[in-house]
Amino acid sequence: MPKRKDIRKILMIGSGPIVIGQACEFDYSGSQACKALREEGYYTILVNSNPATIMTDPNMADVTYIEPLTVEAVTEIIRKERPDAILPTLGGQTGLNLAFFLMKEGILKKYGVESIGADVDAISRAEDRELFKKAMTEIGIGVPKSGIARSVEEGMKIGLGIGFPLILRPAYTLGGSGGSTAYNKEELETNLAKGLEISPVHQILVEQSVLGWKEIEFEVMRDCVDNVIMITSMENVDPMGIHTGDSVVVAPSQSLTAEEYAQFVNLSKKIIRKIGITGGGANIQFAQNPDNGHIVIIEVNPRLSRSSALASKATGFPIARVATKLAVGLTLPEVLNQVTGRTTAFFEPTVDYCVFKICRFTFEKFPGTQRILNTSMKAVGEAMSIGRNFKEALQKGIRSTETRRFGLGADGKDKITDAKLKNPSADLIAEIKEKIRVPNDDRLFYIRYGIMMGLSNDEIYELSRIDRWFIDNLREIVETEEGIKKHRNRHPENALKIPPEILLKAKKSGFSDVQLAFLLNSTEKNVRATRKKHNIKAVYKLVDTCGGEFKAEKPYYYSTYEKKSESEPSSNKKKVLILGGGPNRIGQGIEFDYCCCHASYALKEEGYESIMVNCNPETVSTDYDTSDKLYFEPLTVEDVMNIVDIEKPVGAIVQFGGQTPLNISGPLAKAGLHILGTSPESIDIAEDRKLFQHMLKKLKLIQPDNGTATSFEEAADVAKRIGYPVVVRPSFVLGGRAMEIVYDEKSLKDYMEKAVEASPERPILIDKFLEDAIEVDVDAIADGERCVIGGILEHIEEAGIHSGDSAMVLPPHTLGKDIIETIKKNTYAMAKELKVKGLMNVQYAVKNNIVYILEVNPRASRTVPFVSKAVAVPLAKLATKIMLGKTLKELGFAKEKEVECVAVKESVFPFVRFPGVDAVLGPEMKSTGEVMGIDSTFGMAYAKSQIAAGQKLPTKGNVFISVKNQDKRNVIFVAKKLADLGFKIFATSGTADALSSNDIEVKMLPKLGEGRPNIIDLIKDGKVDMIINTPAGKMTKEDETKIRSHAILYNVPLITTVSGAQASVNGIENLIKKPHMNVKSLQEYHKKIK
Amino acid sequence: MKAALIMEDGSLFDGISVGVAGETIGEVVLNTAVTGYQEMMTDPANAGKILVLTYPLIGNYGVAKKFNESGRVWVSGLIIKEPSRIYSNWQAEGSFDDFLKREKVVAAADVDTRTLAITIRDKGQMLGMISTRSSDRDKLLKKLRQEKKNGRADFISAASTMKAAEIKGKPSGARIAVLDLGMPQSLIRQLKTLGCNITLLPYNTSAQAIRAMKPDGLIISSGPEGDAAIAKVVDEVKTLIGKVPMLGIGLGHEIIGLAIGAKLKKMKVGHHGVNYPVRGADSFKGEITVQNHSYVVDEASIPKKAGVNITLRNINDKTVEEMESRTSKFISAQYSPASPGFEEVNPLFCRFLKLCAPKNTRPRNSSANTETLKRKECLEYAKA
Repeated sequence: MPKRKDIRKILMIGSGPIVIGQACEFDYSGSQACKALREEGYYTILVNSNPATIMTDPNMADVTYIEPLTVEAVTEIIRKERPDAILPTLGGQTGLNLAFFLMKEGILKKYGVESIGADVDAISRAEDRELFKKAMTEIGIGVPKSGIARSVEEGMKIGLGIGFPLILRPAYTLGGSGGSTAYNKEELETNLAKGLEISPVHQILVEQSVLGWKEIEFEVMRDCVDNVIMITSMENVDPMGIHTGDSVVVAPSQSLTAEEYAQFVNLSKKIIRKIGITGGGANIQFAQNPDNGHIVIIEVNPRLSRSSALASKATGFPIARVATKLAVGLTLPEVLNQVTGRTTAFFEPTVDYCVFKICRFTFEKFPGTQRILNTSMKAVGEAMSIGRNFKEALQKGIRSTETRRFGLGADGKDKITDAKLKNPSADLIAEIKEKIRVPNDDRLFYIRYGIMMGLSNDEIYELSRIDRWFIDNLREIVETEEGIKKHRNRHPENALKIPPEILLKAKKSGFSDVQLAFLLNSTEKNVRATRKKHNIKAVYKLVDTCGGEFKAEKPYYYSTYEKKSESEPSSNKKKVLILGGGPNRIGQGIEFDYCCCHASYALKEEGYESIMVNCNPETVSTDYDTSDKLYFEPLTVEDVMNIVDIEKPVGAIVQFGGQTPLNISGPLAKAGLHILGTSPESIDIAEDRKLFQHMLKKLKLIQPDNGTATSFEEAADVAKRIGYPVVVRPSFVLGGRAMEIVYDEKSLKDYMEKAVEASPERPILIDKFLEDAIEVDVDAIADGERCVIGGILEHIEEAGIHSGDSAMVLPPHTLGKDIIETIKKNTYAMAKELKVKGLMNVQYAVKNNIVYILEVNPRASRTVPFVSKAVAVPLAKLATKIMLGKTLKELGFAKEKEVECVAVKESVFPFVRFPGVDAVLGPEMKSTGEVMGIDSTFGMAYAKSQIAAGQKLPTKGNVFISVKNQDKRNVIFVAKKLADLGFKIFATSGTADALSSNDIEVKMLPKLGEGRPNIIDLIKDGKVDMIINTPAGKMTKEDETKIRSHAILYNVPLITTVSGAQASVNGIENLIKKPHMNVKSLQEYHKKIK
Repeated sequence: MKAALIMEDGSLFDGISVGVAGETIGEVVLNTAVTGYQEMMTDPANAGKILVLTYPLIGNYGVAKKFNESGRVWVSGLIIKEPSRIYSNWQAEGSFDDFLKREKVVAAADVDTRTLAITIRDKGQMLGMISTRSSDRDKLLKKLRQEKKNGRADFISAASTMKAAEIKGKPSGARIAVLDLGMPQSLIRQLKTLGCNITLLPYNTSAQAIRAMKPDGLIISSGPEGDAAIAKVVDEVKTLIGKVPMLGIGLGHEIIGLAIGAKLKKMKVGHHGVNYPVRGADSFKGEITVQNHSYVVDEASIPKKAGVNITLRNINDKTVEEMESRTSKFISAQYSPASPGFEEVNPLFCRFLKLCAPKNTRPRNSSANTETLKRKECLEYAKA
């Protein structure tokens, strides 16, 4: 059926900042949707608060709004733009919820906006538990049995009727808190009582537990004439009980019979019809009892999801693009399958490989949280790998996560040695069994230990409920490992004795050269040379959606070890390799993927062939049409060199993918790969402490006093010399990992002993900490001669908070003209000295009118997309062209832009996922994503950034203030202003005294444990609208932690710095003055930039 | 032990022997389905073929009697990438490896099946030979060419029931005769679900005998294409057209085509998998079907006077996948009307029963696949 002509303007909602559970997969789906809509000639209006996305590039939609994703802001946009339709299914849960509220509040109806893809009934049937259960029951599909209890007796009756084990979920508690499992009558009784007490409405859901059942997912699509197709099945290696976003997943499913598979397909079709999706896709999650095949449905996502992004990348089928076309009334047979270029989208992709997804966790960032996995998602990123068998995909997947592991152990990094496993102590046996039983991020490695220790498949199955098929594949890897070990070298430099057939078998099972070198007591170089000698080389196979049945047009490759390669490198074109950023993690996320995509666009514009290497399935960079060629591969030296060997590119771009490509750029350059842009020598100067100091001296620039140390004694000497407080950190880390501010010698000793390993090659870096200094980030671009600054960003929070976590404003709002001039001059000087070709980021600290240089990074920074959007200059694209030889003048960017608006970047944090962790900012980065607030004044821009980040700044009500001594003077102004604005101020004794002696009316609250009601009671009762609480120096008082974690749990805006409080008050004042939010598109802002 | 596959064009693929040692010859055909290895191997329609499974991991869920489409393995050989060492499924009764040995299947594993698939895609289906005795290209090629001359193609006579067999259904159920050219169990199960009283007939049953039975309808079953027995069956079916309501499936469809005077065309690669889209002319609504055929009824050759409607075509190559004649009272499907799920029946069978006894049969599933739904109707349908 032809596309709809009765609609012309379509509004699309993005998913906002990157948070755990909602990452760059929605940039991928949103970008595809924008492209698809414009391809069909629709006028596209996009709203998203996340500036680090490709979709918010001003050329992706006709009009782009970077505004908070709230009903209020989007209503304004609708009022202004008058779209005919809204597409709610491509912006994750955020987009869907927002569209749902717009429907519920009658806004869509009022402005005559139709919801396409999924209407309000469809969304309700999928999202509302009761309606969902009813709908599924009507079509005869089982749901886990459940009932709602209001008393222990009622709960016992329901529970005993269902049978054990049972899941108990107290109603209306946040983040699934208070949930428990009951295995027997006694536990049921106690847990019911506890749960009922926790629930504010005294209700508890008693549900059949399907813990340990198989978790099977299907991706389904349906068009408006009821054509339904399956994209793929996926099987969670981890059984039910772990959030699918945290599970190890394999596609397609491995242990279903043909008949079972058909049954799942059949159910999926019935479900998507019943839910009523009439132009789009859905993700359906089932649980299957492994003992009798009984199937129940867990949930349906009536939208594009993380799983659908994975399914897209796993099969090559562009689900988001097709879903968008279906939403505007096209049918599947009318949409072309661009991968084959000759078949339609009406078919079911089939694969001839095995896909593996594994997650990236960052527990190390949140000490104090338990390293276990459950139904609340904790992963911050994921990697996907493709192999011709499960073993190969698994080992490639593990090394794709970049946790310094190179496969399933056997890489010299195993926590438990082979010797110990041969003769395990009772404690060790217990430990290993426990780690296999309780889901955690190291479980695969512990299964390996278990196998090596002598556990059988059945024993491991009983502990973990992981299907025996997967366990046996792990066992095969271990057996291959044993076979390799037999050919161990006596001396690492000796020639390898391993027979070629064993070497080939190892490669076919995914062993990396690093693992082989470790097992054979050799070097990676030696292993590689031996392989090449025996002609054991990686070949590349195509991902083609059809198992080879049709010729594929889109070159999307993965490596394996077989006879024939399908990648035919072109010889007549200059090629450039772009190394991507791998899985998202805290400190390295979507911003870098944005830069890599721009590199690819620039290469194409300049007539080069762009070749992308990346392994993150969530990204735009791994989309099949972003680059000329895509290699879905781990970013290790071996894997990249294999590609270099066959493609022979003129060079590689490593400065865009964050730390990942930089970490391997040294060995890659040594192996002969030309690194484009700023020379490795210059990178060295910037990264090497001594060379850097030397350069600063030459340029007469100032740096905080500093030194390095490899022991506590040395560190203490340095600290004494430069004076406390000092910032300490290990060398070569990302996102401020293990970085701390140390106020005295005792803490320094603790740090040196516990926190890090130091060595002469990797000393501890010690810097004078500039208390209360203003930090400034500069993103600049240089062509070797000229340097132009993209943007100067002033941090809102004072020095000491990681730049990735700090809010920033562009242009700077408190720095004087002379300071800005100094910053500019310093930047130019360093760019020239370092002969920077491409991007450069400099971090400054300003204190007492002195400009200190903290750090120079001659590469893309996290803020590049933000700055690009604020000043309307595609910095990453220009930088790429410079690397290819263009000058800034030729590119028409010879002088800085002047912006009339104010743009604020704010960070979002995952504290709610890590109960027990103190929600306080410091030198170690903790945020997962960012938003942009843009308006004509700082106050409004800041307010928008806060709203967009989920901090609902109040315009009236109660504010609780409790600050450390140093902050008391500064908080007085804040409190006064709040009081003037009509807020009621609450405080604990110290702060209250300071405030009342300055004539501010304040209600004193008792300290925790000294009387009730205290602040915690007020939070629980919803009587606090904002909390200002700065941590008391180094030591965090237990009370403070408790207050902060309750604020997070109850979603009360929490501000932990005085500078943040000042900015917030400024924002609140603006919100009170201007109750109607002004919305303005990026295109409108950009028109005014000179 | 090593195993090699030699193909007519001289390409050689090495692998490792699984199943039993030996030499076997057959047309090399691909199947892109991810599951269903046991069903494919035991489906008589695949008799004499060397089956290449493009999905690389085979045997994961073991084997069980209930998945057999017939009493034995019919493929002449099997080519796979990686056999599973263990099996894991609650229904499994044994391992894939034991099954290969028990059924004496000559098979090769560890073959670069992707490259093999591409070779077949580019050059077309051809004859091949698996050998565990030699991997010498010239020697094998010579042998393959020799064997080609005395290649056999008389599988139907072996796959068909020896004598008429009755399967009782409900007393009120339709009386359906099945001309068994290799009827798979999964299709019989669907007829049973519909309560049919089934009479399985040997392939060489005469038209006269069939008419004498006065069945409500006749199914010409699927079976091995290009078989020696086909011409004879066509002759009998010719005289039945228009006399008995008829359903042709797979080879049965091709036989009906020949019986009404159309010609068959051999495709370069054929359709072998579970993901083939079909739809009717001028319809946006289609179906994803299971297909396993190397021949098609040449649409241009269908005589006008036969009064045939092409009800479904493959969306990509436009080949005939289903046709129907009201005057001659037959429906015939090139695709396999697989069951959509446990205890469920493909709508094709319901349509056929309607044709057999138009008044007293109420099909369970009314969503016929030729219906063109308007958007609005569809929305209502979705809401219902």
